Amino acid sequence: MLAVITGGSGSGKSEYAESVATSLARRDGLPLYYIATMRPFGEEGKRRVERHRKLRFGKGFETIECYVNLKGQTLPEKGVVLLECMSNLTANEMFEPEGAGNNTVEAVLAGVAALKDRCAHLVIVTNDVFSDGITYDEVTKLYQERLGTINRRIAAEADEATEVVCGIPLRLKK
Amino acid sequence: MILITGGAFQGKKAYAMEHFHLTDDDFVKGTDCAEAELFQAKAVADFQEYVRRVLKKGGDASTLAEKLYTENPEILVITNELGSGVIPADPFDRQWREASGRAACDLAKYAAQVHRVVCGIGTGIKG
Repeated sequence: MLAVITGGSGSGKSEYAESVATSLARRDGLPLYYIATMRPFGEEGKRRVERHRKLRFGKGFETIECYVNLKGQTLPEKGVVLLECMSNLTANEMFEPEGAGNNTVEAVLAGVAALKDRCAHLVIVTNDVFSDGITYDEVTKLYQERLGTINRRIAAEADEATEVVCGIPLRLKK
Repeated sequence: MILITGGAFQGKKAYAMEHFHLTDDDFVKGTDCAEAELFQAKAVADFQEYVRRVLKKGGDASTLAEKLYTENPEILVITNELGSGVIPADPFDRQWREASGRAACDLAKYAAQVHRVVCGIGTGIKG
């Protein structure tokens, strides 16, 4: 099954997504993989990654780093995958030299489709970056548009979609 | 504890006043209240601004929710949802956004009820 989980920064969406992934893995007796997409730039980036590692510690996740080209990502076994997060993957594909550039939307969606075929259950964390009412420069607007498109497309495919508010899951779909 | 959240200018305070029979005087403001006032108040508005002031003074915001619940378990807390935007360019803004989101998650754990207000319409999302 495909679950899409969204929410703002600091909304508790990661913790909720982990609980969804771990309970699916337990239920079906499957291995758990965490696909990390955030490149830890600088001290702040390292702290964020460290915080997420601590949250996952002891829950049985094997961490796989994938910054671009999700389509090419193989998995040791057919298990439960927690992919976090679309906002980073989209930014990497758009802005990194080895990224997909103008084909970002297609590359990310093809990656999600390929990953879905390679695993039993896919839990995707994405990010609400759309509601601050600030008018950004053209590049940032393009990023928002691309991530918004990706979010709509994966939510349309998803068996369930959830928004997390203050750590509380609100079901959008199913 | 009761938590009311939602974006800016959504009518959170009006909803809280009507729903929980409070008046303006029952509220202290996160923008200027002292810690002692917060611990005695019936209600606090703009709690995210209290978080900001704690961070500005170099304080630890990660224990705020627990402290508040311990000192004032009956308080009604209004806090803005402010994480649904592009990552702020300013490091302090990023720190504040993160800390106030985490504080809201912690408050929601302690709260018996959580309400989210959009366009003046509140929805109970816990309790």
